[in-house]
Amino acid sequence: METLQYAIRKLIYSIPLLFGVTLIAFTLMVYFGPDLTYSILGKNATAGQIEAVHRQLGYDQPFLQRYLMFLREVFTFDFGNSISSGEKVASILARTVPVSLAVALPAFVISNVLGVGLALMAAYHRGRFWDKAVMVFAVVGMSVSYLMIVIAFQIIFSTTYGLNWFPVQGWIDPPPEYADVSWFEIAYYYWYYYWLYVAVPTMTSVFVSLGYNTRFFRAVIVEEMNRDYVRTAKAYGIGNGRIMIKHVLKNAMIPIITRIIISLPFVIIAGNLVLEKFFGIPGVGLVTYDAITNGDLPVVKAVVTCTAIIYVFALILTDIAYKFIDPRVSYSK
Amino acid sequence: MLETPQDPFTIKNPPVKPQFRSPACKALTALILAWAALAVGGCKKPFSDREQLNRVFRFSTAGAAVTIDPAQASTAYEGLMVTSIYDQFYEYKYLARPYELKPRLAVGMPEVSDDGLVYTFRIQRGVRYADDPCFPGGAGREVTVHDFIYSMQRQFDPATLPQGEWVWRGKIKGLDEWKASGSDYSAEIEGLRALDDHTLQITLNQPFPQLVYTLTMGYASFVPVEAVAYYGKEIGLNPVGSGPYKIDSFSTRKAILSKNRNYREEYFDLTEEGYDPATQGWAGLEVLQGLRLPAMDRVEVHFMKENMTRWNSLNKGNEIHFGTIPIELTHMVTTQLKPLQLKPYYAEKFRGMSSPDFGFAYMNFNMDDPRIGYNDDPERERRNLLLRQAIRAGFDWEQRNRRFYNGMGEIFPGIIPPRLDAHDPDLPRDFITADYAQAKAYLQAGGWTPENLPELEYGGTASVSHIQFFEQFRGWMEKIGYPREKILLRTFATFGDYNKAVRQKEVMLIPMAWNLDYPDSENVLQLYYGPNKSPGSNSSNYDDPEFNELFRQTKTMQPGPERTARYRQMNQLILEDVPTIAGLMRSKPHIWHRDVVFYPSESPHGSLLKYAYINPSAPEEGQN
Repeated sequence: METLQYAIRKLIYSIPLLFGVTLIAFTLMVYFGPDLTYSILGKNATAGQIEAVHRQLGYDQPFLQRYLMFLREVFTFDFGNSISSGEKVASILARTVPVSLAVALPAFVISNVLGVGLALMAAYHRGRFWDKAVMVFAVVGMSVSYLMIVIAFQIIFSTTYGLNWFPVQGWIDPPPEYADVSWFEIAYYYWYYYWLYVAVPTMTSVFVSLGYNTRFFRAVIVEEMNRDYVRTAKAYGIGNGRIMIKHVLKNAMIPIITRIIISLPFVIIAGNLVLEKFFGIPGVGLVTYDAITNGDLPVVKAVVTCTAIIYVFALILTDIAYKFIDPRVSYSK
Repeated sequence: MLETPQDPFTIKNPPVKPQFRSPACKALTALILAWAALAVGGCKKPFSDREQLNRVFRFSTAGAAVTIDPAQASTAYEGLMVTSIYDQFYEYKYLARPYELKPRLAVGMPEVSDDGLVYTFRIQRGVRYADDPCFPGGAGREVTVHDFIYSMQRQFDPATLPQGEWVWRGKIKGLDEWKASGSDYSAEIEGLRALDDHTLQITLNQPFPQLVYTLTMGYASFVPVEAVAYYGKEIGLNPVGSGPYKIDSFSTRKAILSKNRNYREEYFDLTEEGYDPATQGWAGLEVLQGLRLPAMDRVEVHFMKENMTRWNSLNKGNEIHFGTIPIELTHMVTTQLKPLQLKPYYAEKFRGMSSPDFGFAYMNFNMDDPRIGYNDDPERERRNLLLRQAIRAGFDWEQRNRRFYNGMGEIFPGIIPPRLDAHDPDLPRDFITADYAQAKAYLQAGGWTPENLPELEYGGTASVSHIQFFEQFRGWMEKIGYPREKILLRTFATFGDYNKAVRQKEVMLIPMAWNLDYPDSENVLQLYYGPNKSPGSNSSNYDDPEFNELFRQTKTMQPGPERTARYRQMNQLILEDVPTIAGLMRSKPHIWHRDVVFYPSESPHGSLLKYAYINPSAPEEGQN
């Protein structure tokens, strides 16, 4: 009950935050975003046409009025149609967000699980060979340009210059239409191509994020290992593995969980522009990038709003998770 | 004093191996191993025991189509999609160079009245749209000329945000007035009359010799009103045409086209398409003879902006069939670029050719900027001309071609590129040859010194290539004595921002490129016609009475020696007045798998994809 009350309280408190985010984002879009008029009008526009399109796109209306219209869109969750393609913004998100999520999720899970594992190992062997090996790997992962890693992994795993195991780029096509196809065959089709297309982007993403995760997690775990209770546990003769997993890791979970949950909104909605661009994945990251560069405001507004909302929920989720990890945490004011 | 040891585990016992053997760890390990096993091909390919779909041609482009609505599709990538799905009156012959027209949906060429004002077009009977839920019962209905009239109305209806209105603005009787009076679709337009379902009469305000060319463009597609009513704003994602293909799926990464089962009988004829065995014999096009079009049941168009991804995908062998050699790899893949010759390893896998752009790159001066263009003070205007001449003399097209285009481009003086009727191959090369001594002489004649030279603002987007272009330009200007600090780069975050600044006359030096809409010099000369000044297409804001008068005269002239002479006269004026430094016709090294029969073109070609064919003797290929 206390948790529920807390969640509702946080939700109410987050309303001004949402207003703030939408206001800042909208101001940036209006004053610094590209003007779509000239792209819409073709090669030989007249001054009259420019004025007419300005009117049509609402550019001639006062800022406040435009912002209020934006807020109405946020409340009704109806962002209209993309100016570039004419597609409903809701359809664009419905089509692209699951793809981005499907690509990002395995990497997100693996890099966090492996990151915790490697951090435990490095912290346990602090100052010795395995610690140094893990840290060198982490620094390499953090230092090498993401772009280079993408290209290198693509060449190693997907081309005739390397192992040639996976496709260079692409995403799952609709399955072929056979008259007597079973649901199992369709499911197998999606399952097979999902792993085929997601493998190299996942490996790339894991390689890059593992360095950051491991370094952060290791620092947290090392700090925890210096606490008195660890020494006490050792004095009681508790095994090292048990101490690391059951005590050290559990107590280090608050910063770890915070980091993991806070990065969730970006996994869910923001997509990954570089991966989507290089691996030909029709996700939301690329759509957002194109919308920003083309000045397709309906799409940008929707993505910004959704990201802000999910972020607020992630913050609440983080606070709730604290209680489960550490029952001493109190939600009272 | 009790010391805190570095490692808390050293208090009691020496380190032992950590015991990470929980069920969760085991499950994770098993999952990773299972995934790895699958990844290396441990699983059977889906549907591999069933009859496979027909062969698929996988084309690739360097940019993405955003919409396939003929009213809005303006890029080359969108044009390719539109002409593959929708029909137009005419199209270009697949193989004829220079480009020649042929009827597509039209029956023969139009009948033209003696005064050149009335055109009568007939279209084929019995041509049907692809089946689609927008039609009653889902069956595509017959195409009529009313669909063309409707399509033209959409181009003039501001509500559709059309891109192609400028093509016919002021040309067709009553069309501009129809727009001005509120775009009422039920109102008749005097210049667009359906004599019957298959005959259209177009009446012009004044002769417009390029009219037939414009009827090959995607903007001039036959669009069924039912589709627009059914799909509304999403018509750009759900195109319904009578062309060779229909859309199966479309995203910003890929479009899948399948054969329109209602497509009329059309057979390939080498002679009709302008085949030249002497220059095209190497391409294996003879197998197309007599083939029913479209040649493939399914075509995938992969939109691949990343050069290296595109190359890796092409070189892999079973992903895409057609692509371009990235500029960075040309030395690895080719022995010669002009004409293209591949190294033996790649020649075994691919065919290829360097295909010139149907357009050119140039750099305009903003003539409305008094620092470099027109000036109220006649003396300053004279000096500005000498300054522009000096900059042109310092502009090294050869070097630009070598550094950025591997020397594949074709440099020409003036604004009429090779392959156009009025191109003059005998123009002096001085206009495009860097001559630093001459440039300094121009500056001296204009009384320009490092102290009084104006700042030069070089515009462009904030991309690496634009910044490199600028650095190269600055190097040349320094060689002619321009102070380094007076040569500035003005960047814009996106092309849209740059375009807006250009249209608002805010940019001084304007590097640009132009893709021709049709093979007539008028399409480039209009770029310097005074009334087309910014925000129109004349971004140099050049406004010369003599040029304008000549343009007005030639606008209504039919092709012929007299018109060509005037076109060349206009080109000469451009060379003398220097509102621009031009030009370079770029070239791309296209390659495709040897089993594919294809002939690329950068032209505004009609439905290029319907000719693509995969030789049946080639081994089967599938999705990865």
